[in-house]
Amino acid sequence: MEAVFSSKYYTFFQSDKERCFYIDLGQKVVRLSFCQLLALRQKVSNIRIEDHFDAELNTHGFEILALCNKEHLFILNTLEILDLKELLVGAFAMFEVSLSPVV
Amino acid sequence: MKDIARQSLSIKVECMDLLNNQIKKEAHASATYLAMASWCDQNGFFTGAKFFYKQAEEEREHMMKIFQFVIDAGGNALSPEINGISHEYSSIVDIFENALDHEISVTKSIHNIVMKAREVGDLATEKFLDWFVLEQVEEENTIRDILDMIELTGIEGVGLQIIDGKINDWID
Repeated sequence: MEAVFSSKYYTFFQSDKERCFYIDLGQKVVRLSFCQLLALRQKVSNIRIEDHFDAELNTHGFEILALCNKEHLFILNTLEILDLKELLVGAFAMFEVSLSPVV
Repeated sequence: MKDIARQSLSIKVECMDLLNNQIKKEAHASATYLAMASWCDQNGFFTGAKFFYKQAEEEREHMMKIFQFVIDAGGNALSPEINGISHEYSSIVDIFENALDHEISVTKSIHNIVMKAREVGDLATEKFLDWFVLEQVEEENTIRDILDMIELTGIEGVGLQIIDGKINDWID
């Protein structure tokens, strides 16, 4: 298993042998297939962080995140969500699927 | 380290995101045309209703085409949420003007994805969208032709009845 990218709180790993990814979320390490990773990326990018600063839209400033077809459930605060967003952007930037060609 | 992400996905993730937005747009267009068909039916434009039922089906086919492409490329295709469909129109002219605006917005969105695909070197997405670029020219032209026909016919007297009948010329 190889570390691909680390943010302040979390680390993203890839396992060539198992053809999957792992995210160390502190409380536990989550195993994700590529499809599950895409789904997580979608969920996290859909979180409007601005809502955390609006008492009506997000009263407590937490997000409940269900991962891998509801296998895992996380409750993350604003800073953790920001960090998770950074982790996923950073991890995807390491893959060819999000690289722009060199001109 | 192997690039498992690249082995799993044949298109760029940025394009996948835009294609998912396009799925939403096509679904919205389909629902909008359905609302227009409903208005036509309720206001006695029965051929107009037939035209918009068909348009609604076509937009759904477009949506499914993109949906299937994202799936075939190994991506995460998202079933769209649709809201904000207007059912209020002031006249048959208002309906077709709205339809044209809708088509133009879809065209712009398609062009935007093509430009992004070019920028990131995603040839698969760019080639896939070729059909959509030409299809949009046809879609815009159809609505423009109907608006021209409405202007030529005029809405006075039996004009509206003639207009409704003539819309049949644009139903395959």
